[in-house]
Amino acid sequence: MLLFSYLLLSGITTGALYALVAIGLVVVNKSTGIINFAQGELFMFCGFVAWMVHVQFGQAYPFAFIAAIAGGFLLGVVTDRVAFRSLAKTDIVGLVLATVGLAFVLRGSARMIWGGKGDYLSFPPITSPEPVMIGTIMVVPQQMAALAGAVAIMLVFAAFFRFTRAGKIMRATADNSKAATLVGISIQNVYTLAFGTGAAIAGAAGVLAAPLTLLYPDMGFAFFIKGFAAAVLGGLTSLSGAIVGGLLVGVVEAMAGGYIHSSMMEVAPFLLIMLVLIVCPTGILSLYKARDV
Amino acid sequence: MKLSLIKMTAFCFAAALVGSQCAVAQQQPGLTPTTIRIGSFGALTGPGYLYGKLAMNGIDVVFDEVNAAGGINGRKLELVREDDRCDPAGAIGAVQKLIYQEQVFALIGGGCSNATFAARETIEKAEIPFLVVASVHDGITTPPARTIFSTALTSTIESKAQIQYAITSGAKKIAVVSMRDSWGRARYTPLMEELKSKGITLVADEEMSPDANDATAQVLRLKQADADAVIMVLFPKPAAVFARDSQKLGFKPLLIGQTGIGDPAAFEDQVGVPGATAKFRTISMVKYTPADPEMEKWRKLVEAKFPGDRLSVFNLFGIGSAQVLVEALKRAGPDLTREKLVSELANIHDLSVDVFGAPITCTATDHRCNKSPAWLAKDPTGPVKVLSVTRVD
Repeated sequence: MLLFSYLLLSGITTGALYALVAIGLVVVNKSTGIINFAQGELFMFCGFVAWMVHVQFGQAYPFAFIAAIAGGFLLGVVTDRVAFRSLAKTDIVGLVLATVGLAFVLRGSARMIWGGKGDYLSFPPITSPEPVMIGTIMVVPQQMAALAGAVAIMLVFAAFFRFTRAGKIMRATADNSKAATLVGISIQNVYTLAFGTGAAIAGAAGVLAAPLTLLYPDMGFAFFIKGFAAAVLGGLTSLSGAIVGGLLVGVVEAMAGGYIHSSMMEVAPFLLIMLVLIVCPTGILSLYKARDV
Repeated sequence: MKLSLIKMTAFCFAAALVGSQCAVAQQQPGLTPTTIRIGSFGALTGPGYLYGKLAMNGIDVVFDEVNAAGGINGRKLELVREDDRCDPAGAIGAVQKLIYQEQVFALIGGGCSNATFAARETIEKAEIPFLVVASVHDGITTPPARTIFSTALTSTIESKAQIQYAITSGAKKIAVVSMRDSWGRARYTPLMEELKSKGITLVADEEMSPDANDATAQVLRLKQADADAVIMVLFPKPAAVFARDSQKLGFKPLLIGQTGIGDPAAFEDQVGVPGATAKFRTISMVKYTPADPEMEKWRKLVEAKFPGDRLSVFNLFGIGSAQVLVEALKRAGPDLTREKLVSELANIHDLSVDVFGAPITCTATDHRCNKSPAWLAKDPTGPVKVLSVTRVD
């Protein structure tokens, strides 16, 4: 029971971070129809921005948190204006390749700015690194803080899409872009907003993950591949599906590592995805929706 | 008339001798009557630069010292550097450039194991003497290549030393956490063979990927197995994640590293959690830390030649290796050939240089010349200390 509770908490925490990366992918995909292959690098870059603000400039963690999200949003907007908008008239393959190119640019820039010394940068723990015993269950404050942060971010973005005008515009465009154009919505602006929002979510995930792991310029791909798996599991266009997918990937990974063998950690989530896609090719929530109908 | 005949004969003999020396020098690439060109390859850029560029800086200061004292048998040493970017294809390209374009006489270097291993065939074919500085892959020196010698430790030597250290530290329940990529397998396989030969059964054998961001599952499994010593076959990044999560979950065994995590001070910084590295011990190829007063001379030389640099343990790798090469070059005499250098390298016996844990010995059948890893530790508030030297048979 004790082992189960440790693994569950660890899996949910890691899964919540995968879910945030997946949400960023889904937001961009829903609005623009493309997969942003630079999502992992945006996550990494914002983690470094937070490190710079918190460690190098000595600012408090909440300030670093806000700076990373704001930095992520700005980065998303700028890359849309500079890289993606000029390619808007090309086919979708061109845009997808542009995101791959952006991933390399961000990785190289991070290496130039923060790397090059062969070092992995350590982000100080935001809470006590020592575990706390609640009865017989050991709780790790650091993980709880990251989990709470991830849940808060998910709620904030859920509220953004449900209650704000910008969020409603993005949802409307995602549902039917032609109808959105007819009612006067600027598709280009929605694209910009989508890239900015997706990058801001990646930034939030990056700054939450930073104290749990180590920062290095190549870290983005590992998170991207798990976030992408989570998004696929959720059906690629469903925000709630991305959350469920992320949590599932994280928990399956931890349980497989704990109960089978650590060599299964990397494999188990992808076996699950293959299984899910065979049973319900449009994502895990399609089962629920099918019953609903 | 008789005298002039003798003079004439002597002159002809001397001319012939000089001529033959010049001919030898001309036949041997990288050799002139006044210089010996030595090539060095390793990472000059990217994360592997520690084992490449910094080691080469160490070689450079040894060569400067030799040159300032008049060179070797009247010849000054020239170091030609090539960047292999820690990449196997890059290493093959760098070695080919050094041998065929730069026409160097011998090679010294090799930082990243897989890159150096990839270059072995090219070096063997060219029959050029090569002294390995930092690469530990067993395949570089086993089976021995006729012209390749190493002052670096090897994977097998390190694996044996890790087990010996665990046993001498009184560990009863030994566990392993390892990466299973090509780097990890090169260490994991000899480690398992050595454990088997000693009749040791592991209480747990766990795996981590180089990109791992969480080690909760591994730590919990090792904790459940009640391991009191964990042999880490990991790069610094997953090792730091493992050490962090161990501390987080209250698991505090003896952590036994290897030269992949060769700098306890840097590792402490990377882990970033106070106390998490208190029981971390790791292997160094050299028996001194840069702060040791014994290294004062080298600190001054390195910091004078490379302003902005501070003496590092990686400089010391280069210094030790270069001293061995210089000694072999001296012993090869003024009529220097590659064959003579190879022969002298193979005959180095109990050679004491400034940095290694024990004297260096190479033989014709065993080109692994350094078998004495030093053990390093760092107290949370103190400097890095050398604990002991393990002699591996």
